[in-house]
Amino acid sequence: MKRLTMTLILMAIFAGCIYFVAQCRAQSAQGPGQMLRTDSKQSNVSAKTGGFDEGERLFRSHCGRCHELPDDLSPREARAVVRQMRVRAMLTARDERVILKYLAP
Amino acid sequence: MIAAPIGSHLLIESRGDVLGIFSPQNGTGPYQGQLFTSLDYLQIDYTANSWLTIVAGKFLTPFGIYNERLTPIWIHNAPLILSIGTQTPGSSLGGMARGAFNVRDNFEINYVAYYSASDRTQYWAAGRTAGGRVGFFIPSRRLEAGFSYQRFLQDQRLNSYGAHFSWQPYSVPLDIKSEYAQSPSGKGYWAEAAYRLSRGRGPDSLVGRLQPVFRMQQFDRSKQIPGDSLPSENTRQADFGFDYFLPRSVRINANYSRQFSSQGNSNIWDIGITYRFMFPAWPGGSK
Repeated sequence: MKRLTMTLILMAIFAGCIYFVAQCRAQSAQGPGQMLRTDSKQSNVSAKTGGFDEGERLFRSHCGRCHELPDDLSPREARAVVRQMRVRAMLTARDERVILKYLAP
Repeated sequence: MIAAPIGSHLLIESRGDVLGIFSPQNGTGPYQGQLFTSLDYLQIDYTANSWLTIVAGKFLTPFGIYNERLTPIWIHNAPLILSIGTQTPGSSLGGMARGAFNVRDNFEINYVAYYSASDRTQYWAAGRTAGGRVGFFIPSRRLEAGFSYQRFLQDQRLNSYGAHFSWQPYSVPLDIKSEYAQSPSGKGYWAEAAYRLSRGRGPDSLVGRLQPVFRMQQFDRSKQIPGDSLPSENTRQADFGFDYFLPRSVRINANYSRQFSSQGNSNIWDIGITYRFMFPAWPGGSK
């Protein structure tokens, strides 16, 4: 029981550290990556009204099956990620182009 | 994980693991630990055209959807049938052709064909196999179904077959995934449903970040084949868990499983936290 309690406390501290580092990274992020944060309310509204563009549509239909819009992604990072996901997620060349334009306009 | 694009056609990507296991000696003694390192994949991708990418090196074996798309480092425990079609290391060493193309505006076909050589060294371990996978995807429904096949060409000649299904409807935050696989060792399936509670106050609310998950899985043993990494007896397992999505790509998942087997029933507890981040590994322009 003592070990279990210690393990839980250590895990809580570990989780707190990770969360703290993540928050610090988010606060220090600057530049174009900031533009890529998801605004869920906006996203919901646009989805309801059907007003989202081709890039968002493709992101939702392909990438959105497994994950949400990534935080703090610079254009340079977006290029590497989308290239990798083209192979992993079986995107066509056109999908890759349009999604990259959406992530890093 | 490393991803290095070179020009407009080449990409080098790799992922390695460091795993530490700490457990009490003889069940009650002092804790002892051991560290393991492994290389999941190290591959060169060449995008030849819109619908064809050639891959060479060590890559994740594309059998079904779990091994390649839903690796355990990110989502839940590995299913019972994972090693059917992926064999023990989960990776292949050789070449692969893959891609996707639109048949109609709203219908895509994706495919993979690969060949792997045998290697028994620690970091490059792979079996001699050949196989492929084909998937049919409807983007407007986010619905995919597909089939996998693998011929194991080492020591014994074994055929493995698989089918997968995946559906994420737009109208509700529901995620359904399932796989069936069969080999001379036996056959089995897993089916998973995850529902994110984001409909009330949105995905960023306290409750909206929670995603309960239920998975049912079963494996029926046909024949004992040494080293196939499958349960030795007929096994059923029910998994209940949840994911909690914190901001900034931090995620907590917890899982309770009840395993029913002729060797005895057991409980499995699992809790984890994941934080994903990236940074440029090489100096370069801001664009």
